[in-house]
Amino acid sequence: MKEETKQGWLFVSPWVIGFVLLTAGPMLYSLYLSFTASSLLSPPQWVGVENYRRMFADPIFYRSLSNTAYYAFLGVPLGMLLSLLLALLLNAPVIGLGIFRTLFFLPSVTNTVAMSILWLWLLNPEFGLINTALAAVGIDGPLWLQDEAWSKPALVLMSLWTVGGQMIITLAALQGVPKELTEAASLDGAGAVKRFWAITLPMISPALLFNLIMGLVGALQVFTQAFVMTGGVQPGSEGGPNQSTLFIVLYIYKKAFQEYDMGYASALSWALFVIIVLCTWAAWRFARSRVHYEGGAT
Amino acid sequence: MSATGEIALAGRVFRLSLIYGALVTLGALFSLPVLWMISSSLHRLPDVFAQPYRWLPEVWQWENYVRAVTILLVGRFFLNTMVITFPVMAATVLSSALVAYGFARFRFPGRDVLFSLCLGTMMLPGQVTMIPLYILFARLGWVDTYLPLIVPALFGSPFYIFLLRQFFMTIPRDSEEAALIDGASRLRIWWSIILPQARPALATVLIFTFIGTWNDFFGPLLYINSPEKATLTLGLNLMKTQVLGSGVVEWNVLMAASLLVLLPNAILFFLAQRHFISGISMGAGK
Amino acid sequence: MKRYILLSFLVSLLASCGGSPGDDRTIVYNCAANTSEIAALRPAQEKFFAHSGIRVKLNPFSGEEKLYAMMAAGQAPDVFYTNNAVRDRLAAEGRLLDLRPFVEKDPVWQRLRPEVRAAAVSADGGIYSIGNYTQTAGVYYNRAAFAAAGIAPPSMDWTWADFKAAAKALTHDENGDGKPERYGVFIPAHFIETLALMNHAPVTHDALFLQISAEEREVYAEYLGLMQDGVMPDLRRVQAMGMQAAQMLQAGRVAMLMESVLHPGLAETLTIDWAVAPLPRFGDKAPRYFRSASGGLSISATTKNPPDAWRTLVWLISEAAPYQPSPMLAAVPFVAAQVEKYPQLKGRGFREVWELSEQFPGGDPRYFVRFANWSMGPVMTRFQPWLDRLWSGAATIDEVVAAVPEINAGVRADLERQLQSGGLRPEWKTLLEQALADAQP
Repeated sequence: MKEETKQGWLFVSPWVIGFVLLTAGPMLYSLYLSFTASSLLSPPQWVGVENYRRMFADPIFYRSLSNTAYYAFLGVPLGMLLSLLLALLLNAPVIGLGIFRTLFFLPSVTNTVAMSILWLWLLNPEFGLINTALAAVGIDGPLWLQDEAWSKPALVLMSLWTVGGQMIITLAALQGVPKELTEAASLDGAGAVKRFWAITLPMISPALLFNLIMGLVGALQVFTQAFVMTGGVQPGSEGGPNQSTLFIVLYIYKKAFQEYDMGYASALSWALFVIIVLCTWAAWRFARSRVHYEGGAT
Repeated sequence: MSATGEIALAGRVFRLSLIYGALVTLGALFSLPVLWMISSSLHRLPDVFAQPYRWLPEVWQWENYVRAVTILLVGRFFLNTMVITFPVMAATVLSSALVAYGFARFRFPGRDVLFSLCLGTMMLPGQVTMIPLYILFARLGWVDTYLPLIVPALFGSPFYIFLLRQFFMTIPRDSEEAALIDGASRLRIWWSIILPQARPALATVLIFTFIGTWNDFFGPLLYINSPEKATLTLGLNLMKTQVLGSGVVEWNVLMAASLLVLLPNAILFFLAQRHFISGISMGAGK
Repeated sequence: MKRYILLSFLVSLLASCGGSPGDDRTIVYNCAANTSEIAALRPAQEKFFAHSGIRVKLNPFSGEEKLYAMMAAGQAPDVFYTNNAVRDRLAAEGRLLDLRPFVEKDPVWQRLRPEVRAAAVSADGGIYSIGNYTQTAGVYYNRAAFAAAGIAPPSMDWTWADFKAAAKALTHDENGDGKPERYGVFIPAHFIETLALMNHAPVTHDALFLQISAEEREVYAEYLGLMQDGVMPDLRRVQAMGMQAAQMLQAGRVAMLMESVLHPGLAETLTIDWAVAPLPRFGDKAPRYFRSASGGLSISATTKNPPDAWRTLVWLISEAAPYQPSPMLAAVPFVAAQVEKYPQLKGRGFREVWELSEQFPGGDPRYFVRFANWSMGPVMTRFQPWLDRLWSGAATIDEVVAAVPEINAGVRADLERQLQSGGLRPEWKTLLEQALADAQP
């Protein structure tokens, strides 16, 4: 073997070993587990496609899917819009840019548990800031996390608070749009809106695609907020009122680590995996025709 | 100035003030939660429930912070989190730098496939592997220790491998080639030549790893059973239900504790803004 | 910097490996993460060590799910709390030590109250836990509010109708905006079952599945009625973590509160002029006041030192119980001791309410349902969402009752799967199979 090959493999070996031990191996074992009935201590017993049959007949599974879809398809577009708006605002020559940028970005690096506890208090229907503010303008605020219709919007609202990361990426992309293009367009008489649609948007579309995919993948795996804020202790109460915040990962956690139904939980996690892959692929397909790559597509 | 010039200027001023207005409004909305947190953390408990709520506390109860610090310290949450975070930072940066160097500087069959695979695992949802990993660690007897949280960091992390590889590829090869001719081993070169030149990127990795481990909830939730080994995130979650013995949730102390947990992130951010932003942008630039 | 990184890494790796091996006479006890209880236990620990030589290591704990994981990893504590839903499941898998050999020889068993002894026996006849806490239920009320409204305070014999009338009279909505400043009453949802028993709802000894009897249905209707009449705040609003029910009473947001007696928070924090009355009885039906034993202490089957673990358990139930003398023991001057410790309990009706509960030694009938432990989890997982819908008005009582067969079908499927998944001891498997075959779906 050539020296360079040997050395190369040596250097990347930590990752390769880790991949086999911690990723590929477990994935295969998880696939195997999904065809068994297994709790933590008893050996797995082969049951074939029973887990999958059960999954397709499980109303709570569908509920968790619809909850997750609601959260993702409401939260991701809103988040992208807000981050785009913030980035556009910050792209102007404002004084104190650094302060605003910090202000908007800081929430996104905060500890999710601390943030969840803060928002738990903010969303309190009696004493929380949000309902108090609404009452000040005469609106009778909803019960938020206690109300099955408002619990997911409450979590979406909380997620909007952390668009800072997406904003930074969009901002970087905006600042990468060559000024000559926009100046030339305005000299040609194009209005601000036209300039935005025809030039800016296509130029930043790779960043927007990145935000879309990362946002989607993250939203489909939402867990910590739901667990901390609506994960009850009594069986049946985790996942909020009428299981309205029982997201798929929360359901998997419940099955795996509260009921120790490892086989079924493995089947559920493979279902989630397939869904994430499908959604990502769909996003790619959608983007392919619309995303403009300066200098050719990757 | 011509008439059109004046109109243009007026237009610009108008636009700028609109933008400012929007920024200030949104900025206020974004900062209200934290301001509220600070406000309620200094109230006495009955005042927290008072209606109408008064932002400025009548009695500034600094004891809330004393209690929060005591709980966080005595509960060993802070210490435990550090015991996990520093090894993970060290292990991640070293292993990722090793692997990144392999991908950046060597040509070998299968390299590109391996690299794409590495990138691909970034998109993998953790849930598919978490159950078998849990079973594996349980069989090894590592449950309720920190090993499941630290050992995986020894194998490199795809995002940082990618980041560092991109960076390494921008370093000119001259010094390496000179050292090679002098007979230095590749490892030696990596340690003494490449790493020092990669300080900014390494710093970024360290910062991101710090934030990631500091904020990690799922890992400790899964693997740590004894409350005395709990991390800050786990501890905060526990505090939510057990702040007072008689079953009353002390929101003021809880807010104080949450604020204290948020502080290191904020401080780190202020000290290292550039790294944050460059790190995120680099990741998006694929 | 690099050296520092490596060094800190090694140090922490070492620090994270394993704990300290206790000596043979150390018993690990998973106690509730309750600061005042732990504070009370520490001096008691010293005394215990002095006369028994056993060191008790307190491990403050929350969340039974972690218990199972610890057992799986071979790190089970020696003594720990198990609640009703978990005990029989663990016993069936052989994780709990059968305490019968100890119970036969230890005089403490006879000293326990009859209902504690009865609740300790599982469906297979084995004894896997012994209750460490017992309480009864009562209605705490604001005496000053009663006086101001001109109504007589509750008698020891008051009825549900009296209760409702009082609640209505005590509700104040001064500005007429439909949101009372003070509600007449608040009843936490978990007391509905207790009230159903007051209403003489039948309890089937061998019940495996959810049953909503006509009597219990009545209680649900009454409960909803209280909310709809505006004398009780919306349950969901109160459930939002914020003001606890106790604080509502203290702050004058409610005039009456149904809660457990003795409730530590209430006894310690109430500064208003309060008293406690027994639960109201329904019409002419004889009242049933009883004590509930909510779970108990178990010993792990893998404990290295069963005799010492047993001695620790006995100590915890008797001499180290949160309230002394331990109410688990019959014939102890519980009331007198509590009144002495908390003088604010004097003249509040606490003695009367507690003594009423002692008249019914049978205890809470629900805890003698043989398989309640087993099916509680699957039932609640399916039933709680329906209850949520009931409280929010999205479903009527009729719809909830109509959903019971569907719920039970799911529970049956769960139980059958549990039987199949293995790991159950043969006696339990047979018992459960028999119960499933006998039970009406």
